Amino acid sequence: MALRIISTRIGELGAIYEPVDGINVEALIAGGFVEEVHTAGGKSAKNKNTAPDAGNNPKE
Amino acid sequence: MATSTYLSNPVITINAVDLSDQCTSATISQAFDQLENTAFGDTARKYTAGLQTNSITVELYWSTASSETYASLKSLVGTSTNITIKGSSAATSATNPLGTLTGGFLAELPVAYTLGELATVSVTFNGGTWAWSES
Repeated sequence: MALRIISTRIGELGAIYEPVDGINVEALIAGGFVEEVHTAGGKSAKNKNTAPDAGNNPKE
Repeated sequence: MATSTYLSNPVITINAVDLSDQCTSATISQAFDQLENTAFGDTARKYTAGLQTNSITVELYWSTASSETYASLKSLVGTSTNITIKGSSAATSATNPLGTLTGGFLAELPVAYTLGELATVSVTFNGGTWAWSES
């Protein structure tokens, strides 16, 4: 799970924040300085809403 | 005689949050216990360094606005964090060293509300290790 900067007091807005040892990440989240973002894993999720004509439906 | 005058340039971060625009003073104390190791044969007392006793006291305006003092400090009471300070926002160098207190403990958050004055808070981070960096 990554941390994204949402306050310029930490750094550039939208940038990924990588805390150094000793930084209290929970306090940064509670204070509204960073937020947790869920990064996509190595395997993409299946899209159940894919249209049949998209050409990737294994039943076709 | 060369001196360093700090009018408005110092940069301070508490738990990585830049609070320079709320800060009016910062006092660093880097100290070691002085342990005597004088022995027979010595003609004068000698000492060696013991444990470090470091601290930094920071005076801040008490702002409860978003991303300001309250938001920065409210969750740090009773925990340890890092504090950095240097003389200016210029690159860290031998003439603009970066001081870092790693693992300073914040025991209390004593906010002062005084009639006719801006509210302030004086926070002291005790303990931890202190280091100066020139690069």
